[in-house]
Amino acid sequence: MMDALGGLSRDRVFYLFVAPFAALTILFGVWPILLSIQVSFTASATALRPNPTYVGLANYIAVLADPIFLASLSRTLLYTVLSVIANLAFALGFAILFDSSLLKHGNLFFRLAIFLPVVTPDVAGYVVWRWLYDRSFGAINAALKMLGLPAFGGLSSVDTAMLSILIAELWHHAGFYMIIFLANLSIRDRALEEAAHIDGATTWQRWWHVILPQLRPALVINIVYALIQFLKTFTVVVVMTKGGPNDQTNFVSYYAYQLFDQARYGEATAMATILFAIVIGLSLTAYRIGDREPGK
Amino acid sequence: MSDDIRPNRLLQIGAYAVAILTSVLFLYPYWWMLVSAFRPTRAIMSAPLRPWPETLSFQIFSEIGRIGGVNLSTYAVNSLAITTLSTILGIIVTALGAYALVRRPKAPGFALVRYGFLITIMYPYMLLVIPVYLVMFKLGLLGSYAGIILFLALGPLQFFLFEQFFRKIPNEVIEAAVIDGASEWQILTRVVLPMAMPITATVALITFLLNWAQWFPIMVISRSPDTYTLPVALLSMNSELGANFQGIMALAVLITLPVAALFLLAQKRVMEGMAAGAVKG
Repeated sequence: MMDALGGLSRDRVFYLFVAPFAALTILFGVWPILLSIQVSFTASATALRPNPTYVGLANYIAVLADPIFLASLSRTLLYTVLSVIANLAFALGFAILFDSSLLKHGNLFFRLAIFLPVVTPDVAGYVVWRWLYDRSFGAINAALKMLGLPAFGGLSSVDTAMLSILIAELWHHAGFYMIIFLANLSIRDRALEEAAHIDGATTWQRWWHVILPQLRPALVINIVYALIQFLKTFTVVVVMTKGGPNDQTNFVSYYAYQLFDQARYGEATAMATILFAIVIGLSLTAYRIGDREPGK
Repeated sequence: MSDDIRPNRLLQIGAYAVAILTSVLFLYPYWWMLVSAFRPTRAIMSAPLRPWPETLSFQIFSEIGRIGGVNLSTYAVNSLAITTLSTILGIIVTALGAYALVRRPKAPGFALVRYGFLITIMYPYMLLVIPVYLVMFKLGLLGSYAGIILFLALGPLQFFLFEQFFRKIPNEVIEAAVIDGASEWQILTRVVLPMAMPITATVALITFLLNWAQWFPIMVISRSPDTYTLPVALLSMNSELGANFQGIMALAVLITLPVAALFLLAQKRVMEGMAAGAVKG
């Protein structure tokens, strides 16, 4: 009897512990997500009224027939693929370099230099980059001119706007992916490399067949993180391009926000739901592929 | 064996060249920002690459004393207060929540809370903020500090760091306290909390750095610039036509310097914590 009572009160305490966390999760997570999905089925003009008019899938149909959205979606996907590849290649390359015995002096300094932008507030970082790219103020074109190189279009040219954003975002994010690779490298089984070395494996073979397979956990985590990160690209667009030039950087997050700003709530939330579905679908796929061990 | 894998000289020189060049490119934006904050806009236009200012004058910081009709000091106090309070609240709420979810994973409803949280962090953050506006409106929290602080309190990295830590506490430690007749509250405050001090410090540091950078939720939940923080003020300044370039750089310095200094003082803890929190997620 006493035991049962004790057990009950013990469990009750845990409900008390979890209550604030659950409350915040529901109020500012689950509820707004459900609300957003609900609004995506209503007519924009009535969306915020107590009794909105439900229009079924009309918003989704309108969104999927909107050429600006379709262009925005394909540009978002292209940008995401390019960014994931560029960031992870950069991060892996430097993780390997810093983990090797090549840089005996200054190793920590180099790591800090690449990681500092991660903790630099993104608005501040991107504001500086925006002006670095500027034609009349910017250091980048001034430096190119000094070196006798052709000018870089930066943010104002349709050919280079996406690349410019990609570089600024790589500056901000790559250090994060790098330290995850470094953490994984530091816990790898070095005995395997010695064994491979004794068996006469070349440096390249050691990397490809012994070390890289052990980096699979970091690679999966980084791919999922980077996918989520770049699919929702937003701040850099607000600060640097406002979607321009000529919609070249008008990614889905930004386009949905613009529609929301114009009180087109139904379409904006339909876009949010579509993007959410893509994020979940791609992340789960990446996890599933990552969990599939070769040869098992 | 060390003879065989000793890197050859050329490879080493190449490695240093790449590392130094990349570090310089990564750090140059900071230097340019700092120098530009001390140079008149016209001087920057004529010589953007000048590596140091013509004169050392702090006058620009009084020139940007008012932005958008609000004192710079108000933004600074908002930044400090909102970041600090949301960090403290976030630590208490997240630590307690993660602790309960780890200790009683099978309690009815707990799995639901966990899934709700995981789905929330998968949702594109910027698009979550939009319906949060509606929720804040319904709760009467629009334009309030409380609304901003409550929204900023939860974060994925914080949760995963705590969850990971609590999972590693050996069951025997808790069992021993239970056998000694300790209540759950006593176990939490006398057994678990003392052990959790280092991880709490790590989470506090990382949360502070992350929340200091927040801008979009603050802008959306605010009703006027009175509750804006420094990054939001910078953004509105940057969006103005005929932007005050020197002022923008000076404000960017004010935003970057405190967190850069904090990070450099505690770099090991921050980098290890961020890697650990991510690996769990």
